[in-house]
Amino acid sequence: MRIKQEDLIRYKDGNLYCELANIWIDPSKPVKRALITHAHFDHFTFGCEEYFSTYETAIILKERVGDNVKIKTFDYGEEFKINGIKISFHPSGHILGSSQIRFIFAEEKWLISGDFKLQKDETCKQHEIVKTDYLISECTFGLPIFKWDETNKVANDISKWITNSPEKTSLLFCYSLGKAQRLLNEISQTNFKGNIYSHGSIYKMNNCYKELGIDIKDTIKIENKKKIDELKGSLILLPPSLSKGSYLKSFKNIQTAFASGWMTIRALRKRSGYDKGFVISDHADWDGILEVVKKSEAKNVFFHHGDSESLTKYLVEKKSINVRFFEEQI
Amino acid sequence: MSLNNFSELFADLDASNSTNNKIEVLKSFFLSNKPIDNSWAIYLLTGKSNKRFISGKYLRNLFSQIYEYPQWLIDTCYLKVGDSAEVITLLLKNKTTSRNKKLSNISLNELLSKKIPELSKLNEEEKNLEIKGIWETLPEDNHLIFNKILTGTFRVGVSIGLITKSISRLINIDEEIISHRLMGNFKPSIDSYEFLINKTINIEELNSKPFPFLLANNFEDKIFKHSINDFQFEWKYDGIRMQIIKRSGNVSLWTRGQELVNESFPELVEKMAYVKDDFVLDGELLVWNFKEKIAFDFSFLQKRINRKSPTRSIQIKYPIIFIAYDLLEINGRDIREIKLENRRIELEKYFSKWHNKTENNISDISKICDLISPKDWPDALTYKEKSRENNTEGLIIKKKTSIYSSGRKKGIWWKYKVDPMQLDAVLIYAKGGSGRRAGLYTDYSFALWKDQELIKFASAYSGLTNIEIKELDKWIRKNTIEKFGPVRSLKPEMVFEISFEKIQISKRHKSGIAVRFPRITKWRKDKKINDADSLENAFELMKKIS
Repeated sequence: MRIKQEDLIRYKDGNLYCELANIWIDPSKPVKRALITHAHFDHFTFGCEEYFSTYETAIILKERVGDNVKIKTFDYGEEFKINGIKISFHPSGHILGSSQIRFIFAEEKWLISGDFKLQKDETCKQHEIVKTDYLISECTFGLPIFKWDETNKVANDISKWITNSPEKTSLLFCYSLGKAQRLLNEISQTNFKGNIYSHGSIYKMNNCYKELGIDIKDTIKIENKKKIDELKGSLILLPPSLSKGSYLKSFKNIQTAFASGWMTIRALRKRSGYDKGFVISDHADWDGILEVVKKSEAKNVFFHHGDSESLTKYLVEKKSINVRFFEEQI
Repeated sequence: MSLNNFSELFADLDASNSTNNKIEVLKSFFLSNKPIDNSWAIYLLTGKSNKRFISGKYLRNLFSQIYEYPQWLIDTCYLKVGDSAEVITLLLKNKTTSRNKKLSNISLNELLSKKIPELSKLNEEEKNLEIKGIWETLPEDNHLIFNKILTGTFRVGVSIGLITKSISRLINIDEEIISHRLMGNFKPSIDSYEFLINKTINIEELNSKPFPFLLANNFEDKIFKHSINDFQFEWKYDGIRMQIIKRSGNVSLWTRGQELVNESFPELVEKMAYVKDDFVLDGELLVWNFKEKIAFDFSFLQKRINRKSPTRSIQIKYPIIFIAYDLLEINGRDIREIKLENRRIELEKYFSKWHNKTENNISDISKICDLISPKDWPDALTYKEKSRENNTEGLIIKKKTSIYSSGRKKGIWWKYKVDPMQLDAVLIYAKGGSGRRAGLYTDYSFALWKDQELIKFASAYSGLTNIEIKELDKWIRKNTIEKFGPVRSLKPEMVFEISFEKIQISKRHKSGIAVRFPRITKWRKDKKINDADSLENAFELMKKIS
């Protein structure tokens, strides 16, 4: 089955779309009106006439893409109306400013999960359970092999990894927005007390978080490469895009790691080329997705962005709710 | 404590791409654990224990049954992860949170010499219960090791060379001695470990063991600068490199892969036992066309490699020959330190003695390697070009003054392979074919090593027979890690010989090289992925051409 033509939210041209409000959710090409769930680049495209997001998302976006975009901002829970449809943002726990989006029309509630996680993260608002009739959920890690450890356990592992090799410079690769700040926050609570350096792209986001009132540990911006010798025993946060190519050549005696949910799988870990993988994600694991599905009390659930087949089949077999396959409508 | 230690060791080795790191990690492991556990660790790390106690499928079914988990869901996870032991380890994370920790201090020895072997004595129901019991009382960090040993899939990026180096550094004894001690049937025991780290070298104990093989490097242009008379030229046969050891009348056949293969080639053992002298010979085993006096294709040899106790008719259908390259020891005298040209004289002397006997003549199963005598380098090239005609791969060039050391020593022996250029590469991706080949995975991508990573370097479509395509297709479906549309990423396991016409630098490819007309010329089922070539080899090849 699929989301039907008359459904309030549809899948159109590869994007989520509400025809009645003529509004798109995280569109991948320019449209008139775009709701933005959060400020990661794969959820944003230039050229829309009007954007809607939370205040934090707007600030981060402008920091990343410039002031030249017109964004209407709202607080979490604040309802606004477009063509009679009530729309509101709710915390999704993914990164600072990230949100789920709820639509209410003719007493029918629709909820788009956005990217979300349930785990502790002091750099953003905790995910909120929102009751709904229809749930459209991401399922990036929709297989039971994904089961996250407590965040502080991972942080302690990272701390041990650095302090066990005092002669080396430890390069930790992570997404510059969200993951980096969360890691900084967690690592600063471990036994590792050495210097932490941030790549420019991360440094910029750290400052942006600070301006928005989030407590982020101070780091040193890694600028000129003259200081190489002083880097022994310290931690450097870098975006994954720098892991391949010549950037690393300027460092000596390094160990590398990547922080991502995908590092669960040994074959991916080996293939990624990093020495080590730390399993930490800003998405929900299998249990997390199931918990949200259950607590949302949704009677209809659709999955996208991931291994939707398995989750759908699993829930269909459990017969607890009406799950429908989510397919492209042409 | 030591199973925990071993799990940690595994994680540390797995998380390092640096050889020196790994050696240090191994050294400190050996220093802080008991000899018996060290012995088991070496046994596991060198891949000598691939005994499968239960299959991966059995393990997955068992988990499904015990924890009432949908079978299809486990299978879906398996496709993503590519290893049953790992999938079950990950799924167990949800299952065994609060429990008694009875096995939290189990030693590696206890697990491997008692717990696991005892499983085979139980009936199925008892066995299943026992495995469940172990899962629920073993600390979570040890699940992967346990599951991997159970399914015979324990593998980690440690070569026998690394173990050799770390033991050698541990006790300050030459690597050659250690690698000698490590060869062949290493049986885990206190004694075998004590023997390994024994600081006094005992000749008798080394008796049945082969010498570390000396390997040839890829050809280098700089050799052209030397006089042709400095070198000995042999054909490069494509068979099984082998040492025949005969000491105190006992014959052992050792392959370069350190396997004792007496059982596969009983006729050779029998004939060699007739020889009155004791010796160690280095050479090549081939299936031989006695009429034409050339080797049969490698595929003939494959019919013999994995068959133990071959019948008389198999022996006749696939007649073997041992071609001797070198004499390393004669009647107890180790002559590896004398010059190759002098060893050759000895080799010829003894072979003519053995072949001239009227009784128990060994000439129908062994011969001395013929030498080629090119007048100059262009002449050598001509010989090389001709090598296809006699079913060889090119030339082996050996410095006449060289001694027989071990490993891939630089500047002594070179392999000069005939064009087209070839590399052994690992299959990593497959894509569905079209037309006549629709529904089958027939488009393949191959990778070469770069440190510990496999980097894609070529795609090839042709070269396999229809039967091979079908066989490979079946394997691909069972060994998919991930699907991206029509493309599947595969468990790195299969090695193929890829031939091509041209090799050049390319900025567009991640590997940094591009090859022209790549095609599959052989499915190297005899090779493990660690035997595949590296990007470094590819660059060397390129340097050599230009």
